[in-house]
Amino acid sequence: MTVITHPRRPSRLAEMIDRPGGVSVGVALAQAQTNLDALKDQGLAIIVENIAALLAEQEPNIPEAARLDNAYAASGQIIDAASPFALDDLCTAAKGLCDLLDAAPREGGFDWRIATVHAQAMKLLLALPADAPETPQARTAIMANLGEVLKRKLPQAQA
Amino acid sequence: MAAGDSLRDSAVFNLSGAITMVVDDSPFSLALTTGVLAGFGVRPAFTIGRSVEARRILQEKPVDLLLVDTDMPEIDGFELVRWLRRSGPNPNAFTPVIMTASHIRRSRVAEARDCGANFVVTKPFSAAMLLERILWVARDDRPFLEVGDYLGPDRRFRNEGYEGEERRGRLIRPETVEFA
Repeated sequence: MTVITHPRRPSRLAEMIDRPGGVSVGVALAQAQTNLDALKDQGLAIIVENIAALLAEQEPNIPEAARLDNAYAASGQIIDAASPFALDDLCTAAKGLCDLLDAAPREGGFDWRIATVHAQAMKLLLALPADAPETPQARTAIMANLGEVLKRKLPQAQA
Repeated sequence: MAAGDSLRDSAVFNLSGAITMVVDDSPFSLALTTGVLAGFGVRPAFTIGRSVEARRILQEKPVDLLLVDTDMPEIDGFELVRWLRRSGPNPNAFTPVIMTASHIRRSRVAEARDCGANFVVTKPFSAAMLLERILWVARDDRPFLEVGDYLGPDRRFRNEGYEGEERRGRLIRPETVEFA
């Protein structure tokens, strides 16, 4: 196969980053975190809203493909909103659901109880008190259960 | 190596003059990315919710750094970057591009690899990881290759350890960098 190499102009960024002034990595990351923290409540509201969307009764006439796309979008929005705030378990649960929805047959046959289980698990993960002694154990148990669901259902969905 | 390990707290960088564009159809994700960039001293010149609008601006204005969401209606991030790479003689055709994704569908993994972005990062990612990637693409000197349908940075990485004293400026690159 023919390979054409295009001459590359030096990136302006490369020249720019070493200019006098600027900010240290430590300060930059602290500032970024402050800016993110200001958006945390909004992020949590989006997570709650999308978990509710996953748990909501579906209209009977909605085509399966559209329903899959809607649930996939809701799950993706949970990842978007949770990822900057170290809600890693929530992200993992939402990612697992995205994997399952992505692998589901678009003509029908997806077991929607899987989406419900994931949404309920995410709701529970969000509600667990951060400082309660039993929380780490509960999180581990929830994630283990979701992991089992993924292991059992994903190969079937991909088949 | 965990994200951010290659960045020293005391290392200094200056991106205040970078003309940056962020494209994301989610207003919240746009706010998140803009907030993180503001922390880095970068004030994005363009924050855009639709690829069509991004394309128009990329044809007219110089952009130093492009951050694009993968999953967008109409023209998605992959298509936008693929167009950009083939938009020469537009100087933005070589602009460093970082793509962000909450999830990539199995059917689109090849597109993520082949669209021509410098990096595709999947969430969750931290501010430290994003900064590391930005500094990495700033110094990315891989040649651009055109191979079949692909046009973008050389996708082959060579990660060879160096035994000697570290004498490069402020940034110590990670030993291993993965693409997509």
